[in-house]
Amino acid sequence: QALPSQQTVDYPSFKLVIVGDGGTGKTTFVKRHITGEFEKKYEPTIGVEVHPLDFYTNCGKIRFYCWDTAGQEKFGGLRDGYYIHGQCAIIMFDVTARLTYKNVPTWHRDLCRVCENIPIVLCGNKVDVKNRQVKAKQVTFHRKKNLQYYEISAKSNYNFEKPFLYLARKLAGDVNLHFVESPALAPPEVQIDLAAQQQHEAELAAAASQPLPDDDDDAFD
Amino acid sequence: EEEEEEDSRAEDEDTGAQVAPIVKLQEVAVTTGEENEDVLLDLKAKLYRFDQEGKQWKERGVGNVKLLKHQETGKIRLVMRQNKTLKICANHLVLPTLKLQEHQGNDKSCVWHAADFADGELKDETFAIRFASLENCRLFRDKIEEITESLGEETAGGNEEEAAEAAASLIENLSVSEKD
Repeated sequence: QALPSQQTVDYPSFKLVIVGDGGTGKTTFVKRHITGEFEKKYEPTIGVEVHPLDFYTNCGKIRFYCWDTAGQEKFGGLRDGYYIHGQCAIIMFDVTARLTYKNVPTWHRDLCRVCENIPIVLCGNKVDVKNRQVKAKQVTFHRKKNLQYYEISAKSNYNFEKPFLYLARKLAGDVNLHFVESPALAPPEVQIDLAAQQQHEAELAAAASQPLPDDDDDAFD
Repeated sequence: EEEEEEDSRAEDEDTGAQVAPIVKLQEVAVTTGEENEDVLLDLKAKLYRFDQEGKQWKERGVGNVKLLKHQETGKIRLVMRQNKTLKICANHLVLPTLKLQEHQGNDKSCVWHAADFADGELKDETFAIRFASLENCRLFRDKIEEITESLGEETAGGNEEEAAEAAASLIENLSVSEKD
């Protein structure tokens, strides 16, 4: 289920396929989970990018291999060739762009042709934006096709853990599965020499003058 | 308000298909790694790391930053976890060499350098942390300064001789060697 170049792990891992129109935020969502950063710049994904993503649960560590696929048709690569052996999926659309919701049935159909009976989460991304084009009540596709639906924001982190939590619960058949603190190992002692320390201080001074991104919101939820 | 309630109920509703689980998992004992430590400080914050290549700050996580003191070794470290996923976004010792600086554009923030162990390997990181209030930022800064000062005194008081000896042996070992 991983690419040949990727190491396998001794704990449960799942192939997660992420699909949806270009620009809906699939890559940004995955990146947010991996590094914490929120990438504003749009660079379309070419073909697919596979990222391992670990979570600690009350039932041990688990890993999703996130197959972050191209949304733009011209960069589609193998397209549904990437779906083979998918064990769970996320279909993403952008609540500020109606067309991306209209295309959800196509993504769903293509996915289900390859992956039968896998848990699927539909995600309406960018709910932090004031001018929505698709309101929560207008989202009905998940009811017809038995998908789970979450409104999310990769920008504000609203519900950002929910898709993974839902999929993990379904894959394990355990509604009580939840995320737990990963063990914070004792950091080893380090010797810092004077030269290194001076370099760090110079770097610090340069960094301190660079603006922080999005430092206008004071709600840390 | 009614609408909000309705929304949150709708969100918890499981509309997904019944699918057969593909793994069977057993409940395991959870260790935070913080069991033998006392919490000196615990504040909500947003953490950033400086991307040296792109010369810009990038978000690392939003959650609670804690200063923890080990009950036996007395070592103090900073640990921060991401909200909801509870993953570690910072984990480093508070050493006497740690120096906080103000962030020039944001008075609720400060910056520092550390050898971070968040993903289980030591990495040099330049961090910035932003608090929701000036007061919390001051609490954080004061606590860190109090710790580094007292650590500095300990080192200066107890290890003067050791330091002198170490320096002497370093000087002894100084040599000039020819290049190949």
